[in-house]
Amino acid sequence: MTAARGWIEAARRRLRAARDIYEGIYIAPYRSAIHREYLRRHDAFMLLGFSDLLGVPNPMQFYMLELYPWLIEDFHRWHVRMGMEHPPEGGFRCC
Amino acid sequence: MTFPRRPILFFGGKGGVGKTTLATAAALEAAAAHARTLLVSTDPAHSTSDILQVGLGPAPRPIIADLWAMEIDPEKEADEYIAGVKARIATAAPPRLLEEVERQIDIARVSPGAVEAAIFDRFTRILENEGGLFERIVFDTAPTGQTLRLLSLPELMTTWMSGLIGRRKKVGAMARMWRNVAGSEAGIETAEDPILAALEERRARFHRARAVLTDPERTAFVFVVTPERLPVWETEKAVEALSRHGVPVGAIIVNQVLPDPEPGVTEAAFVSGRRARQAECLARISEGLGDWPVLRVRLQDTDPVGVDALQRIRPEVME
Repeated sequence: MTAARGWIEAARRRLRAARDIYEGIYIAPYRSAIHREYLRRHDAFMLLGFSDLLGVPNPMQFYMLELYPWLIEDFHRWHVRMGMEHPPEGGFRCC
Repeated sequence: MTFPRRPILFFGGKGGVGKTTLATAAALEAAAAHARTLLVSTDPAHSTSDILQVGLGPAPRPIIADLWAMEIDPEKEADEYIAGVKARIATAAPPRLLEEVERQIDIARVSPGAVEAAIFDRFTRILENEGGLFERIVFDTAPTGQTLRLLSLPELMTTWMSGLIGRRKKVGAMARMWRNVAGSEAGIETAEDPILAALEERRARFHRARAVLTDPERTAFVFVVTPERLPVWETEKAVEALSRHGVPVGAIIVNQVLPDPEPGVTEAAFVSGRRARQAECLARISEGLGDWPVLRVRLQDTDPVGVDALQRIRPEVME
């Protein structure tokens, strides 16, 4: 009985190792590519939709106020990513 | 010549050119032709109530046969629009962040264009709701400027919002993919459905409104202008901007045109009549604005042009 259990444990360990290798080769690079693409689209969205927070007049501003909650949680990371140490004047006060 | 006969009429022009009076006249004409007519007034000075001598409110109220009228209070409309936004986002962020979001929304509320944006949003809802109940709707819109920009924006609005909603959906799709691959430690939120629903509803409503507003069979925009340099110049710009965006201009109404002299009739009686009307307004100025220095400048027979002419009109205090 013990020998069989030991064999099963060894097989499980090897499966986990195989899965980790598979993930390292196939999934991890894909992960960062997806993440980069996500950030790119997200940043374009922020710039397009919320230019008023950068001081650029935006006639659409009043019709997109419902998006502000989505915006604020990402705003800090976004302005840092854009190279602005502090949030632009007139925008959310995140830091 | 009669007012253009379309199911929907908008009256545009600077403040004081007589939009409210003429819009009311157009509504009366439509009702006289037995078309079930709604007059929508946005005048914060309640001129329509004064003209019709009837208290008006935010719901259509019968005036005479086939004529109903309603009055939108622009500031209240903006307050309600903002309240609606806040209600929809109440659960979309934790309390600390929500406070900052609401602060930003309050700043937007007092920005230029907020009131006009709220009124336009209301107009699109009137077109859908009351539009089904009335054969003719006459709007006395706000003065030229922001309102005209919004009316000429439906095309841009539709394109922009479609782009934004599309991108947000893509961001949502990417976020889901990211979450599936990375597991639960990824910090990317997916879209809140009620917010997306509100944006989609607004976009669709603006899209439908745009179809109506650019259909020359259904809509005409009537510009009211007075025969003076600046109103004429502004109206030329406004007409050009609207035409460029496909909004049908139905007529230009030149208001307050001095009548031609009639042979055998002195013009003194006409001038006396105008002076009497003017006296009422001058009295109102003394009453309402008398706390501040009030100076009067005589009406000239020509527009002062050149330094000499301008020297002549240096304000004189009239006793």
